[in-house]
Amino acid sequence: MAGHSATEEKLDHLQHHFIDSDQQFEASKMGMWIFLVTEILFFGGLFVAYIVYRAWYPDLYLLASEQLDTFWGAVNTFVLIGSSLTVAMAIRSAQLNQIKGLIINLWITIGLACVFMVIKYFEYAEKFAKGILPGSYYSYEGVAHEKANIFFSIYYMMTGLHGVHVIIGIGLMLWLVYKAKKKVFHSGYYTPVEITGLYWHLVDIIWIFLFPLLYLID
Amino acid sequence: MSGHHISSAKFLWGVGITLFMLTILTVAVTWIHIPSPWNVVVAIAIAVVKALIVSAFFMNLYWESKFNVLLFVMSAAFFLLMIGITLLDTLYRNDPIPSF
Repeated sequence: MAGHSATEEKLDHLQHHFIDSDQQFEASKMGMWIFLVTEILFFGGLFVAYIVYRAWYPDLYLLASEQLDTFWGAVNTFVLIGSSLTVAMAIRSAQLNQIKGLIINLWITIGLACVFMVIKYFEYAEKFAKGILPGSYYSYEGVAHEKANIFFSIYYMMTGLHGVHVIIGIGLMLWLVYKAKKKVFHSGYYTPVEITGLYWHLVDIIWIFLFPLLYLID
Repeated sequence: MSGHHISSAKFLWGVGITLFMLTILTVAVTWIHIPSPWNVVVAIAIAVVKALIVSAFFMNLYWESKFNVLLFVMSAAFFLLMIGITLLDTLYRNDPIPSF
């Protein structure tokens, strides 16, 4: 796509080692995909731990997941899918040069991400108050299984690492809002919005698996 | 390879609503108590469909360079390999349950 209308096209973002804007965009996106591959395998290790222990203690998972509230898990699933939608809308706005729409969509996404974290905070707080803590700190008597702490160690590791990713995502999107307000992005350059979007959708995908695996065992 | 596919707002909302419906479905199937191995199979199957929808239409893999699709598929393949090889050990131990 080399339709040069040299006066119109803004090329401040173009690094000298790329042929054109498109090549730079594709290279950034491929780099992000390679990072996402490492993320999938990073979380993959935790999913493997989940599977190994579920194969060893199937009844533990049935008993322990009763401590998790399906309703709030489902609400958080809706919140994250909604935020994926608004990120996709933010990218669309950037592609169409609608910088105001981009900023509004980013703020909605940040808001939804905060709602997710607040719900997660109340879920954790309720468990901590009962003595449901990971590993050897576990002191709750309400789950009739001697290995109950194992389920919750896995629960805290998986949801905790996911939560860290959500917090990092909030930070990235605040940075995007800042950049967008400084008029850095336009239809010819929105690479940071695009690749932050890819990251955010992956965080959503991981939650899509965590929700049924942790909350929906009955 | 078109790096700048622009989805219509209507299409994105359609994808979002489909994902909301599948979330309701995955909760609803737990109410009918499918017998043991199949409830997990159904839950994972719905999650995989949702993940494919997100990656194809939100992450634009459907319109994306095939190389990025390959990266994504390979990560899934290596993840399955990690599960498979680990289970070959942990499922077939003589003394299956360690002290932890």
